[in-house]
Amino acid sequence: MAQKETQVVKHGDVTQRVGVEVIRKRGVDVEKLIKMLIANAAAEFASTYYYYTILRMHLAGHEDYKEICEDARLEDRAHWELIVPRIYELGGELPNDLPAFHDQAGCRAAKLPDPPTAVNILTLLLESERCAIRSWIEICDMTFGKDPRTYDMASRILNEEIEHEAWFIELLAHERDGKTIPSGHFRRGEPGHAPYSKNAKFYNP
Amino acid sequence: MGVSEIFKVELVLPHGDRRSVHVGSQEHVWDAAFNAGIVLPAMCHQGYCLTCAGRLENDGKTDQSDSLAYFPEDRNAGFVLLCTAKPCSNLTIRTHQQRQMREFRKQRNLPAPYSWSTE
Repeated sequence: MAQKETQVVKHGDVTQRVGVEVIRKRGVDVEKLIKMLIANAAAEFASTYYYYTILRMHLAGHEDYKEICEDARLEDRAHWELIVPRIYELGGELPNDLPAFHDQAGCRAAKLPDPPTAVNILTLLLESERCAIRSWIEICDMTFGKDPRTYDMASRILNEEIEHEAWFIELLAHERDGKTIPSGHFRRGEPGHAPYSKNAKFYNP
Repeated sequence: MGVSEIFKVELVLPHGDRRSVHVGSQEHVWDAAFNAGIVLPAMCHQGYCLTCAGRLENDGKTDQSDSLAYFPEDRNAGFVLLCTAKPCSNLTIRTHQQRQMREFRKQRNLPAPYSWSTE
């Protein structure tokens, strides 16, 4: 089986990758996957990490919200760092132009809302995380059972995006509706702990 | 909120299959199709990523105010984002137009998520 799969890559050939051909052979549309990873990388870096930097600045007086926004911000940066090597491994590359990269994002830029109230910022954060979940589960679906390396990465990121959504549901319900909808989570470690995407210990006392 | 009207939306699916659904004026076309058992492409569900793109085949009108990014050029060319499109009239829509809409956007230097490649 392994011999058959590597036949398309000739001995010493550096223009092709067995690591790509084996997943293509299993049915992954590699070119589409690269486009999706670039779009998701752009969403993590340009749509969220960059703009969450601004959003957290405007949560003054809500230090708890600010801390949690900071966790989400830094974890999105961790996602970006995790995705980029996989894009290049698959034979893709990032656009050598930041505006072009920004415009590839599959989720909108989380620009500071007007007015920048806590409710408006939390709503934006919530919807940004929801877009991320939808984008990552798509990659999980594309790669499940075919490309274990991308699947493992995508599922780690998805774990954190799902937690982010739960955080912002809890905070928005409290701030906007005066309701308690628990996220079920209690703490992270250091800011930007990213237990799944940094393969760190996660909270399970 | 005003009274919701009901419009007939005919979906022209790949391979020429046609399915009709009734969609309220306050309802998104994608949701109505889904509820009728027609699963159309979609990803962000926010009117941004272009995965759900369709194209009008009649002179019908949609309300795209729920879409996060929809340009006058899109409207003039008949492209619609079904996940956030509310009908304002009876419609005939060709579905599965994401590739065409991305190409259209690229040609006009408008954001076209999921289109960048070195090919």
